[in-house]
Amino acid sequence: MDSDPTVHIDPAARPRPLSPNIQIYRPQLTSVLSIANRITGVILSLGAVGLVIWLGAASAGPRAFGAVRGIVGSWGGQIVLAGCTFAYFLHLCGGLRHLAWDTVHGFELRTIYISGWAVVAASIGLTLAAWLASLFVAG
Amino acid sequence: MAVIRSVRRSPLAIAMGLGSAKTGAAQWWAERVTAIALVPLTVWFVAAIIAHSGSDYLSVISWLRSPLTASLMVLLLIHVFYHSALGLQVVIEDYVHSGARFAAVIAVRLGCFGLAVLGIVDVLRVAFGGGPG
Amino acid sequence: MIVESSDQVARFTLLKRFPVPRNFKVTPQSRIEKGRTWPAPVGASRVQAFEVYRYDPESHRNPRIDIFEVDLDDCGPMVLDALFWIKNKVDSTLAFRRSCREGVCGSCAMNLDGTNWLACTRFISDMSKPASIYPLANLPILKDLVPDTTHLFAQYEMIEPWLHAKTPTPEKERLQSPEERSQIDGYYECILCFCCTSGCPSHWWNGERFLGPAALLQAWRWLADSRDEAKEERLNALEDPFRLYRCHTILNCTRTCPKGLNPGRAIAEIKKMVIERGG
Repeated sequence: MDSDPTVHIDPAARPRPLSPNIQIYRPQLTSVLSIANRITGVILSLGAVGLVIWLGAASAGPRAFGAVRGIVGSWGGQIVLAGCTFAYFLHLCGGLRHLAWDTVHGFELRTIYISGWAVVAASIGLTLAAWLASLFVAG
Repeated sequence: MAVIRSVRRSPLAIAMGLGSAKTGAAQWWAERVTAIALVPLTVWFVAAIIAHSGSDYLSVISWLRSPLTASLMVLLLIHVFYHSALGLQVVIEDYVHSGARFAAVIAVRLGCFGLAVLGIVDVLRVAFGGGPG
Repeated sequence: MIVESSDQVARFTLLKRFPVPRNFKVTPQSRIEKGRTWPAPVGASRVQAFEVYRYDPESHRNPRIDIFEVDLDDCGPMVLDALFWIKNKVDSTLAFRRSCREGVCGSCAMNLDGTNWLACTRFISDMSKPASIYPLANLPILKDLVPDTTHLFAQYEMIEPWLHAKTPTPEKERLQSPEERSQIDGYYECILCFCCTSGCPSHWWNGERFLGPAALLQAWRWLADSRDEAKEERLNALEDPFRLYRCHTILNCTRTCPKGLNPGRAIAEIKKMVIERGG
């Protein structure tokens, strides 16, 4: 390749086009769950900031706590909380799948796909269960 | 990104770059250890929040005040922000290739450290404080 | 829904491509334009349309998509046969690499219906209508479906894919038990087609420094070989935040390997070996 005399490298010549990558590559369970794990991780990082705000309100007093509570309890707040709950369970189940891979287990394609769908199903199920439990406790 | 062939550098030289850093395992390992710690810590936290849905301020405060809760909260904050800093650093390294990368990584690390300290101080204030407020 | 082996073609697609703009982060010289359509010959009854990426380096024009209508009754069953039919009967300027036509040389690796595979082992009947044929993803294009794999081979060369032995050459062979020999099963069979590396999103974003699944699978092949005596040097060369640790176990590589190999597992083994020696 390098010593191929028919391929001339002229620095001033028109640069070669790059073949398309994410523009045409098919989304598969592998890549979709992987980017979902990353996106949920970033969402949870923002959620952690929310946790610090909540703790700050708790230590500041009942008025501050009530204000934060009100925001969380509003329609918008509940939607955000629901999103964060789903993000948490997806990242948790996806993370456990990653930890299994780190022990070099579960790399057969069949296992990759079964565990992948299991992560999706478990995340949805756990999110619904958490919210139902919360509604039950709150009465 | 495209690797432009160069008349000056051979393809092998471009691939070799500045050589192997011979590190990287420590960050990878820390991300995994914090992840393992976070499994029970976050499950505990989510379960506790669900158990306290609809609780009033006083019961939340008295729960936070118990030594076990305060300790677990501190551990949660440490591990969440350490795991978050490592993860966000990897995300930045993946997508940001200009010099802004260093500034972004520093900002994320210091931000996570600062937020963790802020959260811990709040927990300790509640735990050691005399009364609510 | 459950994929058992990499040669399984996806029957059901929720999303054909990621929801990004068509020309997301595409350099001006890489933007794809509309090309021409070449209709089927008169009298052809079974016709399949192929959308093929074209680029002519001497035309000073951007790449384009040409649509060829292929007479399936006049052409063999594999996508490579369709490409030959197009080249022989319609447009002789179509350029593509090929050699063995039986899935062992790795030359005809390209992106078929959105995933990387070998054209000679993909049935036309498994392709969608219209079928889309692009070159291997994220590589500089020399012409039409021929990518410049220089950098990928340089990364392969960099991991030193030969036996490093410090003990002197023995009189006969360097001995290896069947169990030891089985450790390189699943890794020595790589044909260096680069379907995996070209399908790895991490290599798309960091390909200059991240070695990619092909080179790393071969790195593991030499680490796993009991006769090799340079584990320390190999692991030192690999332990780098970019060379090895840009792998986030996305696993597009294992999904796309036309030989059914498992680069994802090989990389996980390397990471495990790095931790075992103290990290």
